[in-house]
Amino acid sequence: MPQRGLSRIELLQGTLDLIILQTLRWGPRHGYGIAQIIRSTSSETFQIETGSLYPALHRLERAKLIASSWDTSDKGQRVKNYELTAAGKKQLQAERSRWEQLASTMATLLNTPLGADS
Amino acid sequence: MSRRDRDLDDEIAAHLRMAIEERMARGESRADAERAARRELGNVAHVKEVTREQHAGLWLERLGQDVRYAIRSFAKNPGFTSVVIATLALGIGVNAAIFTIAHGVLLRPLDYPRPEQLMYLTAESPVTGNTQNALSAPEYAEFRQMNRSFAEVGAYETGGAAYTTGEVNLAAGDRPLRARSISVDAHLLKALAIQPEQGRLFTDEETARWTGTLPPPIAMLSHELWRTAFGGRPLVGQKVEIEGRPHEIVGIMPAGADVMDNHTQVWLPLWLHPNMARQRGSHVLYVIARLKDGVTAKLAQTELSTFLENWGDHAGTRDHVPTNRPLRPTDHSLQLRTLQDAIVGGARRPIWVLQAAVGFVLLVVCANLANLMIARAASRRREFVLRAALGASRGRLLRQSITEAAMMSGAGGILGVWLADAGVRALIHAYPTSVPRTSELAIDLPVLLVALALSIATALLFGFVSLGGWRVRASSMATALKEGARGASGGQRHRARRALVIAQVACAVMLVIGAALLLRTVYNLTRFDAGFDRSRLVTFSMTLPMGSGEPETRAQAYQRVLDRLRSVPGVLGTVAMSGLPPNRSPDAISTPIENYTSDDGRHSEIIDYYQFVMGGGDYFATMGIPIVAGRGFEPTDNASQAKVAIVNETFVKKVWKTQSPIGQRVRPPGWTFGANDDVWHTVIGVAKDVRQRGVDRPAGAELYVSLDQHRVAPPSMNVVLRTTLPPAALSGTIERVVREVDAAVPVVRLRDMDSVFAESIRRPRLLAQLLGAFAGLALLLAALGTYGVLSYTVTERRREIGIRIALGAARSQVLTQIMRQGLQVTALGVAIGLAGALAVNRLIASLLFGVQPTDAVTMAFVIATITTVALVASCLPAWRASRVDPNVVLRDE
Repeated sequence: MPQRGLSRIELLQGTLDLIILQTLRWGPRHGYGIAQIIRSTSSETFQIETGSLYPALHRLERAKLIASSWDTSDKGQRVKNYELTAAGKKQLQAERSRWEQLASTMATLLNTPLGADS
Repeated sequence: MSRRDRDLDDEIAAHLRMAIEERMARGESRADAERAARRELGNVAHVKEVTREQHAGLWLERLGQDVRYAIRSFAKNPGFTSVVIATLALGIGVNAAIFTIAHGVLLRPLDYPRPEQLMYLTAESPVTGNTQNALSAPEYAEFRQMNRSFAEVGAYETGGAAYTTGEVNLAAGDRPLRARSISVDAHLLKALAIQPEQGRLFTDEETARWTGTLPPPIAMLSHELWRTAFGGRPLVGQKVEIEGRPHEIVGIMPAGADVMDNHTQVWLPLWLHPNMARQRGSHVLYVIARLKDGVTAKLAQTELSTFLENWGDHAGTRDHVPTNRPLRPTDHSLQLRTLQDAIVGGARRPIWVLQAAVGFVLLVVCANLANLMIARAASRRREFVLRAALGASRGRLLRQSITEAAMMSGAGGILGVWLADAGVRALIHAYPTSVPRTSELAIDLPVLLVALALSIATALLFGFVSLGGWRVRASSMATALKEGARGASGGQRHRARRALVIAQVACAVMLVIGAALLLRTVYNLTRFDAGFDRSRLVTFSMTLPMGSGEPETRAQAYQRVLDRLRSVPGVLGTVAMSGLPPNRSPDAISTPIENYTSDDGRHSEIIDYYQFVMGGGDYFATMGIPIVAGRGFEPTDNASQAKVAIVNETFVKKVWKTQSPIGQRVRPPGWTFGANDDVWHTVIGVAKDVRQRGVDRPAGAELYVSLDQHRVAPPSMNVVLRTTLPPAALSGTIERVVREVDAAVPVVRLRDMDSVFAESIRRPRLLAQLLGAFAGLALLLAALGTYGVLSYTVTERRREIGIRIALGAARSQVLTQIMRQGLQVTALGVAIGLAGALAVNRLIASLLFGVQPTDAVTMAFVIATITTVALVASCLPAWRASRVDPNVVLRDE
């Protein structure tokens, strides 16, 4: 179902980008590592299709929010590592506060009793 | 396979390998681990494809998304979308159309090599208001010799004297046709730097030797006439019958070649009657000159000015030479202007007025669209806030809204250019001679660029207006989401909409005032008494070949035509005359007057118009021209040896002042009407002034001579019939009568006198019609804007209105309140518009006739109209407001 996959990537774009940036906060990682961290830290709540990870990584790289380099893993394999750029760090800050704000307002909104909207 | 593709493959492969290794480390079998890892990753090929797209077509991909999204949102609102596109198409269309005219007529250089070097030399008599006149033949010769600024100075003639009418009869095969002609000398063709397409140009010899009684029988044809009338067959060196004489075609002009927008079809050698060539008083030659390389127009003007200081000394005469100080009515000066200016001349101001008008229309259009966009932005606020919440950046949203606006503007622009093209074509078709240089008009690159620029400007405007309406900011998101549920409100936005409506009304007021003033002008021109009774007059013109007959035989032929037409039932009177009022060219012939000495000591006076009439006994009765003193021509005069003449009131004022004109004698030169000698004519009567050269131009001095007395006739005459029948009913009879007299002579310009009048005021009429249409458009849009903003107010304040009604407010009060709001907006707009109109209306003062630019009646009428329109536009929303049911509204809340 290629069409469905595409639309899901698009829908989660903002969210996924933020998660990836957050993951890279502690240093360079390769794609598989990022996927691992997301899965473990979100307690598998986010059913992120691993397939949508790579388009997001490449998009962020193109937007110069992350940079990549080829490296050799401890097992002697060629792997591509990603790390945050300065712009990426700034973007992470901005996105985080935006999300916190949204989350808190959403919480307020959802907790307000019906009908008392003004 | 590119490096990037290989890297991507490696990256995905590494991912799979690590996933499998980890699963195997947890104890899964290799086969299970591989399957699970692949399932987790998804369709590998698809993942790669999507990842690649992030690099290759990101920009294009997003644009594609935007476009798809825009089309979806258009499809959801087809009404809104078509209103926007149609409004834009109108706004851009009228602008592109008028700019096509402005560019093609005013801005585009003339189609000659180095057109900026071409100058036009005219005679000006400021005291009599006679401007852009021709030069006399001696002046032309002297200027040719004296000047040092010009590489070449040439002359042409299209009309004026009795022998040339600017049209000739031409036999193409066995078909007689009437073709527009011009008589040029070889210098003129050199000055214009025209090269013949075939054959040769005229030589100096052929055009400067003014002897004999007829010009040399040679001619050139325009490319277009050669194609249409002669099928483009080889013609150079062959004979074609022109004005009844075989002429040798020496050359064919290139396509589009013309002089002074004359629409020339036949080029003839310039030839003047030897008597006229000596006359300083006969202004018959139009002069075009080409500056030498490196000489500026200013330098040439300075040189001319020096000549004018003492022209008489050079010419060896004091009689009627041009001067720098033309203080008396008989004096004239010479003036140089660029040829382009001379051609475009009077059309410049009307075209810029129209351009300004369509600019205002575009402003009104933009205000309307901005209003629509603000309303729509409010209703789409929720959608955009949601998209922002889901991660769409501000830039992305702006791009989205600009994409939508650009698509609508693009569609509007394309439709607009198409409309402009159709409009300009229709205009040229309907008014072929009202605008100069129309044969060259086309939607070309500059016009397309302007249309494109307008589209882009409007697109950006909408895009930003839309975004301004959304104000997507994280801090306001919650409010936006909540508000969105019942449509955003906002005092600021409302004020913006009101301001837009006020601006619209102001623009509409200015346009409507301009249109109303021009409509008054046209009305005044139509109703203006030109000095004769034009009802139930039918006219046509005919030209008897100059070469085939003597003046006497021509007179007999005309007499036969008149006699036969007179016996047609329904025809009350039939006369013929040399110049048809109210739109003929002036003669300006120096005429000796007995016992008369002018201010500068001459015994003659320049008479503006000679009117040679046939059927003289009936002339003044048939034309409905009152005789104010003495008597008109009578049949008994015809046999009398004593020649008589009639003058008009202006002639009397100019020459005899308080003296009685009856019994005075004048001596019109015989060559002007085909007689051999100059004889004294006794003035027997004074006729009321008749406007000859446009109803808005002052009448000149006019002399009536009865050709019945002389039994000669000039080649061209205009026949006028007073009849109860329309021209269509008479055309068969007239064609038959003329054919019986001379089968080779075509009947031209058969129409009633009202059409002649309409033709004479065609330019102000066209201007008034166009401006009227634009003003109507602006008014309609302003009305829609008022309606829109009031509807919006009512919708927004439904709850408040409902509560007020529930609390006992009368419905009539609510109605009045909303109406008052509409009128307030209108009143402000009207006030601003009036101020604007008063500030700029003097720009059109020169285009008005019989009405002041500050005319109170017009202003009052316009205010009344706009107020009525505003009332109508406010009615529906106000009525809706008064119908608000408090139960329904309050329950909704």
